[in-house]
Amino acid sequence: MLLYLLTRILRSALGILLILFVSYGMMFYGAGDPIKKMYLDKDDLAVDEVTLTALREKYGLDDPFLVQFTTYLGNLAQGNMGISIREQRPVADMVRATLPISVQMGLAATALATLIGIPLGILAARKHNSPLDYAIVAGVTAFNAVPVFVIGPLLILFFVSVLGIMKVPWGWDGLFSPKTILPLAALTMVPLPIVVRQTRSAILEVRGEDYIRTARAKGLSERDVAFRHMLRPVLLPVITSVGLVAITLINGAIFVELIFGIPGFGGLTLEGLLNVDYPVIMATVLIGALIVMVTNLAVELAYPLLDARVTKGH
Amino acid sequence: MAQAQMHAAHTTSLTIPAGPVPRADRSLWKDAWRQLVANRLALGGLIVILIFLFAAIFGPLIAPYDFLEQNIKDALQPPSAAHWLGTDANGRDIFSRILYGARSAALVAITTTAISLLIGLFIGMAAGLFGGRTESWLMWMTDITMSIPVILLAMLINTALKYRATDYFDLMYTKTRNPFFLNTWWLDFLLVFVAIALISWPGYARLIRGQVKTTGKALYVEAARSIGASDRRIMTHHLAPNSLGPVIVAVTHGMGGAVLLESSLSFLGIGIQPPNASWGSMLSDSLSLWRSFPHLMIVPAVTIAIIQIAFIFLGDGMNDALNPRQRRR
Repeated sequence: MLLYLLTRILRSALGILLILFVSYGMMFYGAGDPIKKMYLDKDDLAVDEVTLTALREKYGLDDPFLVQFTTYLGNLAQGNMGISIREQRPVADMVRATLPISVQMGLAATALATLIGIPLGILAARKHNSPLDYAIVAGVTAFNAVPVFVIGPLLILFFVSVLGIMKVPWGWDGLFSPKTILPLAALTMVPLPIVVRQTRSAILEVRGEDYIRTARAKGLSERDVAFRHMLRPVLLPVITSVGLVAITLINGAIFVELIFGIPGFGGLTLEGLLNVDYPVIMATVLIGALIVMVTNLAVELAYPLLDARVTKGH
Repeated sequence: MAQAQMHAAHTTSLTIPAGPVPRADRSLWKDAWRQLVANRLALGGLIVILIFLFAAIFGPLIAPYDFLEQNIKDALQPPSAAHWLGTDANGRDIFSRILYGARSAALVAITTTAISLLIGLFIGMAAGLFGGRTESWLMWMTDITMSIPVILLAMLINTALKYRATDYFDLMYTKTRNPFFLNTWWLDFLLVFVAIALISWPGYARLIRGQVKTTGKALYVEAARSIGASDRRIMTHHLAPNSLGPVIVAVTHGMGGAVLLESSLSFLGIGIQPPNASWGSMLSDSLSLWRSFPHLMIVPAVTIAIIQIAFIFLGDGMNDALNPRQRRR
């Protein structure tokens, strides 16, 4: 088990290294010179070549690719993510200012999606093939199809213009301010369909199993059947879907934060890419990939705990 | 072999006296088509997609106005008889822009799905056929590509290519003075094609690897071979339908995904750039004006939503029709 865990972590670490290498390469060979880009945006500012060269030297941008990349890795190993070229401040500070906001939103959205999604899924499965089941499935399919950058604006339009019960939510006042209601609702819509679908089909599958029939036959109450025999296998796909949530939330955060003006990690990502700000881009790629890989690993490790039939590596 | 033929002859001689076969010969494809059309949601999805493709192809003929024609006098009009869906801040007819947006979306969807399917075919077949170390390396790469959030990767690829490509175009123009290199509108499309194709292949690669590894060894292939079916018959009647079904379903969902990614990128301002029409950029343009002019936001938002729902319903319906064994409950 320990050996398996070690190889698994090693593979993920190698993967992250590869991602960093490829991203840095794409920035270096593709995106080009962030200094030039920075001054191109301000046309009126006359800058001579000497200043540009000095600036490039200051950020180590004149070194060959491999030198730059290894320097970056060395700094990273010491916890130094570099200095933003555009903002002139440590990237670590920028991450520290933005990431907690997005993580709070993400966790809250995951919790909401699980709390609403599992009961909905159970309800749909219990009333299998009834109008209620069809309504839940159709609603979930629709929400799964409609992207968050469509749901967000429509939510604003509905609550602010049509109902007129709130002001336009813009900015961030902490998780428990009324401003977060709409963005949180939009963000919850992203993982919710996955949770409902998984729960529903898991229950439908388990329901027909022999051991459930045996449990009923030996006279267990419906409650005991549900809690002792059905709950565990149902938890499995639910955990899988919670694992999927990480990737959907990072995708969703970029849009939700843009629409609702939340100064979070998604905004940092977008800004970094638009400004070709190497250190910021590298930090966002690193953290995004880390979040996804860690959740995947956690999900994989949680399986054997819940279901003895699942052994390591399957 | 001879025995198998004899056996076949024997059975046919037995069935002939029983009269004509009561059931018309239905091929798997006809059967699947029947099921697809019987499924109302899937049929609705199919009709919407056909309208979408029709609008994409014949949009310029249907569109009442030129999608670039600006008429400041008529700016920000609500829907009316002259402008069915109103006009935007530059006085451009929104209905015409939606039609041209369908063109961008369909172009991106078809091209990127084709490219990523090709990449997926290549990698999936290589992994499935060679096995061993090649397979584990290729699948490792696939997993890594999948572990980067899609939007992040698309933006990364787009940023990486954009400046280099623009510089190259400038250089080529100064060298050749060919006006072709001044026209950068299709450069946006090229960048979006590459970005979306490079992130969409892992799903296809996984699927095709699985197909390669399982279908050849399936029991029904062995059974068909044992009753003397020719290789050709096995290929056309057993392997092709069984392995094509899931791929067709994946392609349907993939096209929906590509339409979605195109509008996402355009929404963020790094996809199809103005003045080209894209539903995503129409939506993001409306974010500052929706309060007084809600139609600016509603029209593209509802269009994107309808097309996405149609793709999902069609894909699910196809899955039910083509892969009856893994039908969703």
